[in-house]
Amino acid sequence: MTNNSTKANVQMTVEELAQKHNGGRKIIDFVGKKKIFFGISLTIMIIGIICNFIFGTTLDIQFSGGASLRFSYTGQIDQTELHDFIQEKTTDKITTSFSKDMMGNSGNNVAVQFSGNDAISTDIQDSLEADLQEKYPDSSFKCLESTSVDASMGFSFLLKCLVAVAIASALMVLYVTIRFKKIGGLSAGVMALVALFHDIALIYFLYVIFQMPIDSNFIAVVLMILGYSLNDTIVIYDRVREERKLVGRKQDIGDVFNLACTKTIRRTIMTSVTTLCAILIVYILAVVYNIPSVQGFALPMMIGVISGCYSSICIAGPLWVMWRHHKAAKNEEK
Amino acid sequence: MNTEVKKGMKRVPKPVFFIVALLILAFSFTAIFGVAYYNGDNKNTVLKGIGDIRWGIDIRGGVEATFRPADGYDATDEELESAKSIIELRMVSQGITDYELYADKGSDRIIVRFPWKSDEKTFDAVAAIDEISSTAQLTFRPGNSYASTDIGSDGEYVYKTPTGETETVLMDGSAVKSATAGYTRDDKGDAQYIVSLELTDEGAKTFASITEQYLQKTVSIWMDDIMLSAPTVQAVISDGQAQISGNFTAETATALANKINAGALPFHLETANYGSIDPSLGENSLVAMGYAGVIAFIVIALIMIFFYRLPGFIAIISLIGQMGLSIAAVSGYFTTIPSFTMTLPGIAGLILSIGMGVDCNVITAERIKEEIKAGRTLDGALDRGTKNSLSAIIDGNMTVVIVSLILMLVFGPANILSIIFGESTTGTIYSFGFTLLVGVISNFIMGIFFSRVMLRSIAGFKPLRKKWLFGGAKND
Repeated sequence: MTNNSTKANVQMTVEELAQKHNGGRKIIDFVGKKKIFFGISLTIMIIGIICNFIFGTTLDIQFSGGASLRFSYTGQIDQTELHDFIQEKTTDKITTSFSKDMMGNSGNNVAVQFSGNDAISTDIQDSLEADLQEKYPDSSFKCLESTSVDASMGFSFLLKCLVAVAIASALMVLYVTIRFKKIGGLSAGVMALVALFHDIALIYFLYVIFQMPIDSNFIAVVLMILGYSLNDTIVIYDRVREERKLVGRKQDIGDVFNLACTKTIRRTIMTSVTTLCAILIVYILAVVYNIPSVQGFALPMMIGVISGCYSSICIAGPLWVMWRHHKAAKNEEK
Repeated sequence: MNTEVKKGMKRVPKPVFFIVALLILAFSFTAIFGVAYYNGDNKNTVLKGIGDIRWGIDIRGGVEATFRPADGYDATDEELESAKSIIELRMVSQGITDYELYADKGSDRIIVRFPWKSDEKTFDAVAAIDEISSTAQLTFRPGNSYASTDIGSDGEYVYKTPTGETETVLMDGSAVKSATAGYTRDDKGDAQYIVSLELTDEGAKTFASITEQYLQKTVSIWMDDIMLSAPTVQAVISDGQAQISGNFTAETATALANKINAGALPFHLETANYGSIDPSLGENSLVAMGYAGVIAFIVIALIMIFFYRLPGFIAIISLIGQMGLSIAAVSGYFTTIPSFTMTLPGIAGLILSIGMGVDCNVITAERIKEEIKAGRTLDGALDRGTKNSLSAIIDGNMTVVIVSLILMLVFGPANILSIIFGESTTGTIYSFGFTLLVGVISNFIMGIFFSRVMLRSIAGFKPLRKKWLFGGAKND
């Protein structure tokens, strides 16, 4: 390592840097393209916010309180007819959705969601099942799943989840700040957090656009992506710390970041690809076997993984470089 | 710099690769399939495998319900606790052992989650919930007149609705401290099943006067609208220790004692939340996730071999080890770690950790590749590659550890947030946090320790000492 000390005082051009520290291969200029990256992210955010205004968000009954039942049946029944029949038998306004298990194990499904945020009494489930069995004796109606949540308990669960996300975020920033003290820990931590919010926002917009109600899956995915996205960011920061030692402190921090990023990009992409593969396979099988709970888990997770990979390189990094430049300029003024 | 590399480099003997690989494969094989032998029809499990995993109610099917005292009754902590213990008693008496039950004293709620009994045929969630929460008012009434009879589902007569003199209430359930079933020996030495009542001090006084007034007459015990028992008073009982005898079997005596206990509470339970899952649904999901796990493993194995060649191959062995470790941690393979209830998100977490688990190996393999391209010797590249990637692997994994701990704390049964938000059942997400944590830790053990030993050992084989196999260019 002794020969490195001589480099510390020399400011190299990007070409020299590539020659000396990247085996002559080109260094990708991530920081220089920051306007494009920020533009892409902002556009997605704006589209998401607009969609949010148009469609609104719905809380799952886990959080808002309410009730839903899912029945399986065999044979063909006209969907509107079935909806009208169920509506006739219940006092609350209902919405129905239909799905089918492609493997034929659980046949046709109809999910009945009751409006309002109150739990339903257990009698309703029983009488509705009996009514359906009476009306369609050949279709072997069976209640597969039922959920009924009291509104106040749902709200307390939501609060608990939000507190958890807040605690997790705070711990993450703290960890990064401590571990990366040498390269301006707090700035690294804060910028990593910005990237995390970026990922959470994208997952949220996915829920908005696909009209999926926010449920405990959402919270699980958000927490998971907090860890995952930060993992990417940390691997890059770790490399920045290492390259900075090798290249020397005089070198522009943006160049060092580009170098570190170029060297780790294959790893970042590979890990995202293998993770994405695993989730994609889970998602596909959940669709084939008609398991809504797993679908609702896997789809946002996929978006989170992609966003986590992208935000680490294209958002957290350039932002951090900007912050460092800004600070350096300030110090010079003094 | 060269001297440094040489100093740090240590060759690992060649056979080590085979020993480690075989150990990992043998361990994973037993962890996945379990080891059991049959002694006649009895299965003796030596090591637990996937078949011995305890599945959560989202897979096995089951019921989850939250009860609270009806009509806004403000139950004391003791009352809530005894309501809970009664539900517990009912669970146990019905042969359901694998249930979760919590009393949230802050909000006066009792939360229960239980799988279907193995001999359950109807899967009627509503009936099951009613059965558990049917906490009723226990009363002692004179005589045994009733308005109607029914035949219950067990084929026994059910006497309903007190009439005439029986409409008077002599004493209610609050006088009863506890009821227990037991047996005594009669003159012939045969066992006679009895139900013993222990009354409160207040109750003992009341009961003394009742037994005096109704000596040799019938005093019936009612649960709400249903007559449980109609014993004849044989003696004046003033010590608060009463015994009911009759044609009891062990079961009927226990059932009566349980009902009397349940009836000693001054409030009904109403259902605030409930949910149920049919077992057919869960079975279907389990099959789907099983396929997903196998396919994901194969696809990732192919990717790793294609991109990283020899280190990729070693990554697969360590991935098998990681799966083995994760499954072992869930199934109770190690007797020191209790078995864990596995849910659908838990399985998803396990599959996800296959995808994320190769990260250790990817970071190391990429680093070795880089060092080879920088023109280092194979040994130098291996040495520097493994050394330089360590801090990134540790830091990266730490964040996932933090997140999985938070997931477990939030969705787990007893957690830091319970103080503010009350107790809850272990939601299905809890198991996601657990498998993720176990996955990361196993990945750490396998990826950092075993993979590296194997890599160094295998690099000792002459025919394999080609830079191409480690990610270098073809002609190297």
